[in-house]
Amino acid sequence: MFQFQYSELVRNLTIKEFKLRYRNSILGFIWSLLNPLAMMIILTLVFSTLLRSGIENFPVFLLTALLAWRFFSISTSMSLSSIIGNAPLVTKIYFPRWLLVLSSNLANLIGSSLEFAAFLPLLVFLGMKITPLALFLPVILILEFILITGVSLILAALNVYYRDFNQIWEITLQIGFFLCPIIYRITLIPERYIVAYSLNPMTRVIESIRRILYYSTLPTLADFIIILVSGLVLLLLGYLVFRRLEPRFAEEI
Amino acid sequence: MQAIQVEDLWKKFRIPHERRTTILENIAGALQILEGKRFTYEEFWALKGINFNVNHGEFIGIIGENGSGKSTLLKVIANILRPDKGRVKASGKIAPILELGVGFHPDLTVKENVLVYGSIMGLKNSEVKKRVSSMLEFSGLERFKDAKLKNLSSGMQMRLGFSVAIETNPDIFLIDEALAVGDMEFQQKCISKFKEFKTEKRTIVFVSHALNLVKEFCEKTLFISRGETVAFGNTEDTVSQYLRHIRGST
Repeated sequence: MFQFQYSELVRNLTIKEFKLRYRNSILGFIWSLLNPLAMMIILTLVFSTLLRSGIENFPVFLLTALLAWRFFSISTSMSLSSIIGNAPLVTKIYFPRWLLVLSSNLANLIGSSLEFAAFLPLLVFLGMKITPLALFLPVILILEFILITGVSLILAALNVYYRDFNQIWEITLQIGFFLCPIIYRITLIPERYIVAYSLNPMTRVIESIRRILYYSTLPTLADFIIILVSGLVLLLLGYLVFRRLEPRFAEEI
Repeated sequence: MQAIQVEDLWKKFRIPHERRTTILENIAGALQILEGKRFTYEEFWALKGINFNVNHGEFIGIIGENGSGKSTLLKVIANILRPDKGRVKASGKIAPILELGVGFHPDLTVKENVLVYGSIMGLKNSEVKKRVSSMLEFSGLERFKDAKLKNLSSGMQMRLGFSVAIETNPDIFLIDEALAVGDMEFQQKCISKFKEFKTEKRTIVFVSHALNLVKEFCEKTLFISRGETVAFGNTEDTVSQYLRHIRGST
């Protein structure tokens, strides 16, 4: 699928997306850190002080999951508009359109990795232990990236034909936020739902990252397999949907 | 060896009677169908069985009234639109210079756009950087290299598009009314560039209403009307046929 002749184009488009993401606000990258920081403070106040959730070191528990979730939610909602957002290119010149989705996701992979790096000092200050297990973090992020790219291909293609897809996706993400173990422990889920619950690849991504950074244990083999397999299935599905809808992009846009 | 082969090309557009671009509208539409109202759209055939070939090194003109399918034809050759029937074979790198622009993003600066465009055209960043100054010089926009594209006037954008496209060294140019928005000075520059192309034996497909330019440059001309070929051949004959056609219809 990937042709070498476009590697330079992917690089340029990724840089373009990255710039567009941060340039239009004065604080740029800093803004993208303020959001999870504010979330962490508010949710910590609510859950450990008011509701007394009893989770040890709640800020670290929350922030590790929050960053993993943000990577998914921001990447998918940005790449959703990666085709219509690039209408001036799509209607004027030919190049494989999926490169736009890929570059948008790559820009967010870089952005989210930087977010993790920027929060590392704070996490350590809050009591997180850095172990050699942290080396698994990039592996999980890459697996999450595959998952994101599959979802993004479907969303970006459908959004050309149905413009309210971004509203639908926004609601889906809000539901997803509570369907994943971000603000609560997975043990909260009743026994009879646990199988279905843990098949959700994003649950596995969040749990894996939490295992690495919060519990200091290895992600399980099941974590890896579920994330990888669902990622590849979604990628295939995304490829098929995209290939089918792509020929009429320029006239529907 | 042919640069462009267009065989029995058909292209249709759908014109829905009520355009639905959201899922909500589609659900509402589906409910209406249940009530017995049909979802209807008109099919509009923009191109109906176009055939023509362009040899390497030829300068070809395309003429016809507004809405006759000229721009659609160029877009299909450029692979931006896909044909419903028939096929297009083009050998070599194509640079489409369509109405207002070649594929620039309004939120990027001139320099950034040049880099992205260059890589779409298959140039390495290092090659683009080497040519940036000559691109900007030809367009006369050196002062604006850090300005966002949306802050340039339409004429300036066209100048830039034209200047950048010709520097990427394509095998085939598809030019659609590119000169219309440029000022006199730039039109003169483009015309002398066209003369250069002609001596260099580049392949060019040129859509224009400026019949004097078509006559001056094009060896052969295609005249289409309502998506159908009326004539293809010697420019003099085709242009006079077009003129008769216009007079006949008024």
